[in-house]
Amino acid sequence: MGRTLPSITQTFLQEQQSLARFRRALRLDDQRALDDLLAASRHHLAEAAYASHLLPFEIMLLAMLVEEHKQVMRLRDELETLRSPSTSSPRPASGGQAGHSQEHSRP
Amino acid sequence: MTELSGRPLAIASPSNKPTLYGWLFDAYPSGTGMAVWLIDADGQAHMFHDDFTPVFYVRGPRQDLHDLCQMLRARRAPVELDRTERIDLFLDRPIEVLRVGVRSPGLLPHLFRLVADFNPYLTYYDADIPLPQRYVLTRQVFPLAHCAVEHEAGQIRHIQALDTPWEVDYRLPPLRVMAMRLGGELRNPARGHRGDLLVQIEGEEYPFKREHGRELVLGIRHLLERHDPDVLVTAYGDSYLLPRLLELSRHYGISLPLNRDPDQAIAHKPARSYFSYGRVVFSDEQHLLFGRWHVDRQNAFLGDDYGLDGALEIARLSGLPVQTVARVSTGTGISAMQVSTAWRRGVLVPWQKRQPESLKTGLDLLAADKGGLVYAPLMGLHEHVAELDFTAMYPSIMVHFNLSPETVGAKCCEGVPVPELGTPVCNHRQGLVPETLAPLLEKRNQYKARIRELPEDDPRKEIFRRRYSAHKWLLVTCFGYLGYKNARFGRIEAHEAVTAYGREVLLRAKELVEARGFRVLHLYVDGLWIDKPGASQRPDYEALLDEIRAQTGLQIGLEGVYRWLAFLPSRVEARVPVANRYFGTFEDGSTKVRGIEARRHDTPNFVRETQLGMLAILAEGQGVAGFRAAVPAAIEYAARQLHRLRSGQVPVRDLLVTHRLSRRPDEYVARTAAARVAHQLTQADVSLSPGEKLRFLLVPGPEKARAWELIQGEIPYDHQAYLQLFIRAIESLLAPVGVDQSTLETWLLGQTSYWGPVGVLPPPGTDSRWPLLANARPVGAEHSLLATSAFREIQRECFALTRQAA
Repeated sequence: MGRTLPSITQTFLQEQQSLARFRRALRLDDQRALDDLLAASRHHLAEAAYASHLLPFEIMLLAMLVEEHKQVMRLRDELETLRSPSTSSPRPASGGQAGHSQEHSRP
Repeated sequence: MTELSGRPLAIASPSNKPTLYGWLFDAYPSGTGMAVWLIDADGQAHMFHDDFTPVFYVRGPRQDLHDLCQMLRARRAPVELDRTERIDLFLDRPIEVLRVGVRSPGLLPHLFRLVADFNPYLTYYDADIPLPQRYVLTRQVFPLAHCAVEHEAGQIRHIQALDTPWEVDYRLPPLRVMAMRLGGELRNPARGHRGDLLVQIEGEEYPFKREHGRELVLGIRHLLERHDPDVLVTAYGDSYLLPRLLELSRHYGISLPLNRDPDQAIAHKPARSYFSYGRVVFSDEQHLLFGRWHVDRQNAFLGDDYGLDGALEIARLSGLPVQTVARVSTGTGISAMQVSTAWRRGVLVPWQKRQPESLKTGLDLLAADKGGLVYAPLMGLHEHVAELDFTAMYPSIMVHFNLSPETVGAKCCEGVPVPELGTPVCNHRQGLVPETLAPLLEKRNQYKARIRELPEDDPRKEIFRRRYSAHKWLLVTCFGYLGYKNARFGRIEAHEAVTAYGREVLLRAKELVEARGFRVLHLYVDGLWIDKPGASQRPDYEALLDEIRAQTGLQIGLEGVYRWLAFLPSRVEARVPVANRYFGTFEDGSTKVRGIEARRHDTPNFVRETQLGMLAILAEGQGVAGFRAAVPAAIEYAARQLHRLRSGQVPVRDLLVTHRLSRRPDEYVARTAAARVAHQLTQADVSLSPGEKLRFLLVPGPEKARAWELIQGEIPYDHQAYLQLFIRAIESLLAPVGVDQSTLETWLLGQTSYWGPVGVLPPPGTDSRWPLLANARPVGAEHSLLATSAFREIQRECFALTRQAA
């Protein structure tokens, strides 16, 4: 309401739209991976808005990396746990997708 | 007496004139002054006259002002003209203005229109303040103030308030209330509903047959004369009852003393539709009385939330008449309070604001044009989550950081820079908006404390709650008015400064929370949802709250600790959470629900009732495990409700869908249910305006939907359509434990589940549609399931589990 600039969600949707042809050309498996990445960056729209960066897509890419790295850290922890069965299981990392409670899972 | 705006009146010396003690009930223009009504402690109403000359001011080139004076003199307008100096809010210094006093208050709107049309390029001040508000400001009283009035031959010689609007536990006059409504269900009579007229007064109910118009008018007249009520409370009085009664009174030639003042005619304001926050709002016609209040419960803004008690509180604070307050948004109330502050300061109130947005670079705009922080929550079901809320965050920020249209960006001193933006905020004088809000926040805190202290059976508790709620609405709207282009004291830079401080404060709180080892699940403008292993009781958060208070300077409170709390995914994209769709149960068993069907206005009662019923069952569960354990019982309840729905036992009233018309009925292109209903009503000679609400039933067959007003008795409804709404509402509740629509259909419609008894969930992390696949994962048989030994293993487990479950 009464805004001069498009909101961060609108900006995100525009960026997503601009990738439509790229997505179309991808193989089905790759399309799913891309969708996951875009969903991951959508978890950090509030932070992106606060950043007021001139090129919001750069922030979106970073957000994807953040989520990817969290996934890597979690897998690394899980691997450690599996290697030494005596240690207790680690607490899920916070923030975004990787922090999903175990309760919510969809195939 | 003439208007002495901003200057205190001298306290009257003791005189021998008779003095009346009573509450200021009504004031409106009459002849050369105002008619003023007071009600004394015995409930007796008294009318007086008070000479009063309202004033407006004009600023501009000397020649133009001279021409204006010539024009007014030539027309022999009843005005007093002289030059004077007044303070301009933004210049913060006196300016020379022409003072125009109108000797007949009722003529002011007309005269001002004449002047403004004569020269629209001059700057006008104090021109459109409502006359009743001017009167109370000038006399330093307020609506419902307890007053001492010295009078002589019906004229007020001196009036003085004996209490202040800031009193918390004030006395009100004894009011006689006459209630009026049509018999039968509460439906809009303007859409064809008819019934006998029921009138209630002083504990008695009098029914009047609608066929006997003459007796009806005579009966009402008799009741009005015998009881002389102070307030007329009606249902659909504005749009139907009063116009119809007046029509009957004209038809039979029987005068009807609805007004207490026989010299005034009932004021009528036509209905209108307007845009507000992206939607069309319909405001029905109004019928206002003189010397008596008419309050239409069906045409009251937020009437249910704060009721008459809240409306009286807003009237006392804002200076607006009760009949107005009951019908306008609280934004008008806060705006009037700001006018009062300006008036008391002796500052001119601009008629049309001339404060355009200042020039900004693209980068400045990028930094400034933002709202509050709205995060994406961590989806799913969580336990022992604490919700921390800043108390009245935006108003508190305005007061604490002195944010006001004239202080933000002021060049009078170096000031304090706004975070992110760097705009300086003046810190050597208190802003007009903070000055208005500070006592309001203080009073609200006092009510909050009193509500907490009072025992549950104290009658004052409910009254205080309503006043507290009225304050909440006043404070909610004050932020919007700071950035609203038509608000007298609005300025976009001040609005941006408030959100910038809001973001800063919330992030500072986030940092403090994280430094103490908590995890932040969600941030939403003025609230934080956090958890930490081991923290589950109120005392676990006290030190944290104290620290946030000390570091931010704002009040923050613990809304509560949730037994469990679910943040829901988007309906469109299941991988993405939505900021304001969540529900949870606090430790005391109360629930909080946002964004799901039960909170939506268009949801039928039956669906709302089912969703809340299931929630009550789930609320019994302690923590995530408890929630999961309560699912079978919740599903059992849903199945019983579904049986009622499918066997046609649900009454029509509980299945009505509400829809707000967004355009005129003839402008609809698609044949939606709402468009069909609008068409039906139009066919039945009902005129509909954009913004009006429609209530209808979904019916089977090509008709699809029927307007409630056109339904007589119970008729069949569309089971399939309601089933969809029903399943959707349940899915919202159970999505956090992985139950989706197809699982629900298996459980509720197929009456079976291959996993186990209906409602029993597979272990956490398993898709309830394909629960057995989870067992295949450790074997790593994702691609060639059927070909491996894993498949045989699954089969074996499947049998074992089914046997267990049975």
